[in-house]
Amino acid sequence: MTPDVPTLHLPRRTGRRHSTSESPFVRRLLIGVALAFLSLFLFLPLVSVFTQAFAKGMGFYVHTIVDPMTLSAIKLTLIAAAIAVPLNCVFGVCAAWTIAKFDFRGKNILLTLIDLPFSVSPVISGLIYVLVFGAQGWLGLYLNADHPRLPWLANWLNDHDIKIIFAVPGIVLATIFVTFPFVARELIPLMQAQGRNEEEAARVLGASGWQTFWRVTLPNIKWGLLYGVILCNARAMGEFGAVSVVSGKIRGQTNTLPLHIEALYDDYNFTGAFAVASLLALLALVTLGLKLWVEHNQAALNEVEVS
Amino acid sequence: MSVEVKNVTKKFGSFLALDRVSLKVESGELVALLGPSGSGKTTLLRTIAGLEFPDPGDAQVLFYGEDVTAIPASERKAGFAFQHYALFGHLSVFENIAFGLRVRPTATRPPEPDIQARVAKLLQLIQLEPLAQRFPSQLSGGQRQRVALARALAVEPKVLLLDEPFGALDAKVRKDLRRWLRQLHEEIHITTLFVTHDQEEALEVADRVAILRNGRVEQIGTPEEIYDHPASPFVYDFLGNVNLFSGRIKDGAVVIGGTSFAAPETSGELDADAVAFVRPHDVRLTREAGGQTTFAARILRCNAAGPVANLELERVHGGGQFAAQLSKEEFQQLRPKPGEQMFVELKKMKVFPEDYSI
Repeated sequence: MTPDVPTLHLPRRTGRRHSTSESPFVRRLLIGVALAFLSLFLFLPLVSVFTQAFAKGMGFYVHTIVDPMTLSAIKLTLIAAAIAVPLNCVFGVCAAWTIAKFDFRGKNILLTLIDLPFSVSPVISGLIYVLVFGAQGWLGLYLNADHPRLPWLANWLNDHDIKIIFAVPGIVLATIFVTFPFVARELIPLMQAQGRNEEEAARVLGASGWQTFWRVTLPNIKWGLLYGVILCNARAMGEFGAVSVVSGKIRGQTNTLPLHIEALYDDYNFTGAFAVASLLALLALVTLGLKLWVEHNQAALNEVEVS
Repeated sequence: MSVEVKNVTKKFGSFLALDRVSLKVESGELVALLGPSGSGKTTLLRTIAGLEFPDPGDAQVLFYGEDVTAIPASERKAGFAFQHYALFGHLSVFENIAFGLRVRPTATRPPEPDIQARVAKLLQLIQLEPLAQRFPSQLSGGQRQRVALARALAVEPKVLLLDEPFGALDAKVRKDLRRWLRQLHEEIHITTLFVTHDQEEALEVADRVAILRNGRVEQIGTPEEIYDHPASPFVYDFLGNVNLFSGRIKDGAVVIGGTSFAAPETSGELDADAVAFVRPHDVRLTREAGGQTTFAARILRCNAAGPVANLELERVHGGGQFAAQLSKEEFQQLRPKPGEQMFVELKKMKVFPEDYSI
């Protein structure tokens, strides 16, 4: 054996093409473990949701879905998402724009605050809203005070019987809170990576700030934005914890889909619970599909950029 | 008629990027801003474009007599080409060039046929007509730079500002584009400023070159002026290879290691330490000792590849190494060999007192 002479033999183990690839045994083991996990914890539950949902046949499934309580829950979920997602979309773009394109004091504090909903338990965030807006909270104290400040506001709120907790506004607020990082988090790194050059080019060419946003910034971030919106929407429709605290769970009035599923389950109507759950599962599958499609488009864009 | 900046100061935190810079570019002139990185040249260009604003004070930016200091970039009518082009990736080449026309308010926006015609003309100018419908990502670096130029020209700017226009290109493309830019300037005669750190580029392309250092204009002049009469050791050093010989000024001459060289420009100084700057091509080698005007040196290395021969030498009586450049003919006549001792004559030098530093 002469170590100095370069040898031109094939690598010892065939099929080993890169220095970082492992032996077939290790590879198969890793893939096997990953697949086993996936099927046990993701695929099996998904299949079971659908089998359980149809356990009493198609008739019962349809009956559960068209039940007024279910329809009301669907409606409320759609309303909450329809308000929360566009608002978070606007907020996310504003926050990402501010953070990526300007330098200012407290930038890191803003970044940390954006992550707050991720780090706080949803139940706590629901509770915060109860403490602020509930009958025993600040809003309640204000409305019941003998001499409130801004009496016209207190009167107006009392006259119109504006309720936030145990009502739709509370559900919307809680949904906005738990979903607001999604769009911002998706856009910040993207906008930071893109820098300011294209915006500057547009400005020098005479474009106004508004034109620069619509014609240059938005087209550049559209896939990232769409991705954020999809994730935000999925979470908005699926949120349980925070909404559960503020909703009061009045059937037909303040129950969202996840809360309605819990209610059905608590009634021992397992098949009904799974039938409604299958709607959310379906939403998840659609979300995954959309996510794949967006990622594919983003990747195609990046590939072209590099080459 | 000129584009002018007066007393512009710009600080980024504690870093002084521009230190009371004043510069005047005559109408139709092509001026290069040359300097090492951090010298403030890009900041100056961005200040003229309105992408940076000078620190409060008596700073002024004037476009043909009109004070634009407080006018935002979008209303200054400057054309700017970015170092990394900053083309709009989602728009075709055609739409990139048309951008500046399309964003105009309806009152001043040209009608669609006019836009089409103007873009077509610019495409012809940059010789990219067949690629009008391509996207920036499908173009080479040189093509992208030309699109960026056409886009800047489309709005008929009062001044064209180019930030390291060829910085990101490989050497061959760079040379071609340089020549093309010069030709283009001859054709359309637009007042142009371009930033570069490449002295060869600046000297070849520009009508005048402004050399920046630490946020100040060190010297401004035609390429010939600044190459032949550098105002400071920094400029001398920045504009090409140079040998430094330390010596002493005495009675209008400089004494380097016992050999005295005439240096009439130092007549003001009586007796001071000095550094003589000598370009390698001003070093002459002979085999005969020339008495008072030569000193002995040993040849260390010869490299005759290319149009000229480069030699490295070491002074026999101490004082370090230096470089010499001979023409091919001189080299073939002399045939110097490494290790051989020869005599050195300095054809031309520039002497600066010692306290000057590069």
